[in-house]
Amino acid sequence: MNVVITPAMIGQVIISGILSGTLYAMVALGLALIFGVMRIINVAHGPLLMLGAYTTYFLYSGLNLNPYLTVPVSMAVLFVVGLVLERTLVFRVIDAPELSSLLLTFGISIALVNGAQLAFTSDLRSVEFLTGSWILGAFAFSKSRVIAFAFAAGLTAAVFLFLTYTRVGKAIRATSQSRDVAMVCGIDVGAIHRLTFGLASALAGAGGALIAVIVAIQPEMGQIWTFKSFLVIVLGGAGNYPGALVGGMLLGLVEQLASLFLTTQLSEVVAYVLLVLVLLVRPTGLLGGRQT
Amino acid sequence: MRRAGPVLVLLLLVALAVYPPFGTGYGHRAVIQIFMWVALAGSWNIISGLTGYVSFGHVAFFGAGAYTAGILIASVGWPWPLAALAGGIAAGVLALAIGWPCLRLKGPYFAIAMLGLNEVLRALVSYFERLTGGGNGLSLPTLDANIPIYYAMGLMAVVVTLIARLIIASRFGLRLMTIREDEVAAEAMGIDTFQHKLFAFLLSAIPAGIVGALAARDQGYIEPLSVFPLATTITMIVMTLFGGKGTVWGPVLGAVVLFVTQEMVWARYPYIHPLLFGAIIVAVVLAMPRGVLGLLQIKYRLPRTI
Repeated sequence: MNVVITPAMIGQVIISGILSGTLYAMVALGLALIFGVMRIINVAHGPLLMLGAYTTYFLYSGLNLNPYLTVPVSMAVLFVVGLVLERTLVFRVIDAPELSSLLLTFGISIALVNGAQLAFTSDLRSVEFLTGSWILGAFAFSKSRVIAFAFAAGLTAAVFLFLTYTRVGKAIRATSQSRDVAMVCGIDVGAIHRLTFGLASALAGAGGALIAVIVAIQPEMGQIWTFKSFLVIVLGGAGNYPGALVGGMLLGLVEQLASLFLTTQLSEVVAYVLLVLVLLVRPTGLLGGRQT
Repeated sequence: MRRAGPVLVLLLLVALAVYPPFGTGYGHRAVIQIFMWVALAGSWNIISGLTGYVSFGHVAFFGAGAYTAGILIASVGWPWPLAALAGGIAAGVLALAIGWPCLRLKGPYFAIAMLGLNEVLRALVSYFERLTGGGNGLSLPTLDANIPIYYAMGLMAVVVTLIARLIIASRFGLRLMTIREDEVAAEAMGIDTFQHKLFAFLLSAIPAGIVGALAARDQGYIEPLSVFPLATTITMIVMTLFGGKGTVWGPVLGAVVLFVTQEMVWARYPYIHPLLFGAIIVAVVLAMPRGVLGLLQIKYRLPRTI
């Protein structure tokens, strides 16, 4: 492959990288919140995103709703799913060894994926809503990706404002810093755990709703998102919430660069090599995080 | 009871060793499958059951072994026993490459790295089409008798179970279990945790690679989807958890019980059984984290080394 790389192509890569990176950041923020507050890596995060995508698909194909109007619905549905999962299963393993929480959420993820296969079949489905691109000078902006970017940026900003300024948000951050001290200060830690899990699931749901317009929907679409979200929080530093933003951008850019210089087939391999390199060189993440 | 155990095991082994001339084609096939699952579940148990580091992508070693052996048999013409050993070595090299960065760290890094490994290997196999046949797969020259595979696979099941038995009764095993229970304390006691975890990982990955190579020889045809399915990892995990993780006979018990159930009951409901596997994992983690054997150990005060 002898491709001449022009400055315009680099610009396009940066634009596409930021567009998809913001989406990664938003979804990964959910995983980072659960990890920060509950010390659990939720392996079912990606499958929850898949449920969000199906919610949007059925509202779009059944009720003919504008898929972007379904984003709040997907978030609400997934918030409830997250709440129920935490209340019934996940809270039981918060203080258990890591093996238990990993295996439990892995079991949930298998059940969700296969439940979806039974309920919705494995057929590929798509939401054909906004296709094509906006052309601006030398650059092309895929319409669905631009809108997904706008939603993701808005929601991520909203979550950060919520965490920074509201009482509940402060309680979440306090719990993530020290659960015991938070409890002594009168914070209902159990309720914070439920809320965090619900909020994180809602972010996965929003991600699913936005991705539904971009890629094909099928029950196994989610698993790779668990891995990518984890990669994002490792890049940014586990337990470091703003780090998720940096990590997301970086993953988006690296994937786009990989598809420019190599082939899209290998973009997952490149992401994996990136993970292994970061773990070798700087396991606390680029911005530094807390060691577990 | 204490004396009866080894005698029973010996009798069972003899019975399995003299079974092939009397058995049917289906019988051979079924027993090979049971051997395979005993070896795979046992290999997962060595890293995850004993050390507590969850390998979500153990099928990667199975697949690496299968492809290494497949390529060596089909393109270079190696005899299959040699190719199977090479498959084990390939799995070991892969385990070193993943274990070196990920096992130095505590926490979930290893688990998630293993979760991604499978996808990566599948993408690589599809990409290097000329070597691997890509999505079209790789056909191995036909082999008429599966009896040698029967013995080789049986040997692997015995070897893996023996490794677990030797580890659990050794100081090395005690150190691994210390890492599992409290890694900081293990370090404080002077255990080189990284080195121990890496060694356990190698002992776990190499047999899985050899088993993958044998399975490739047995099936005569490999392709990315048949060799790297997430379902294989799930099955290993379910079998080990059900039988009892961190025990010698747990994976054996889990493999036999679940394989027989699968053949007799779930084969009629192929769509529902992954869902059941997910439910079993959740139920075992919450209700009986030490599995069936763990319950029996507590109830009947059986020794830790079964």
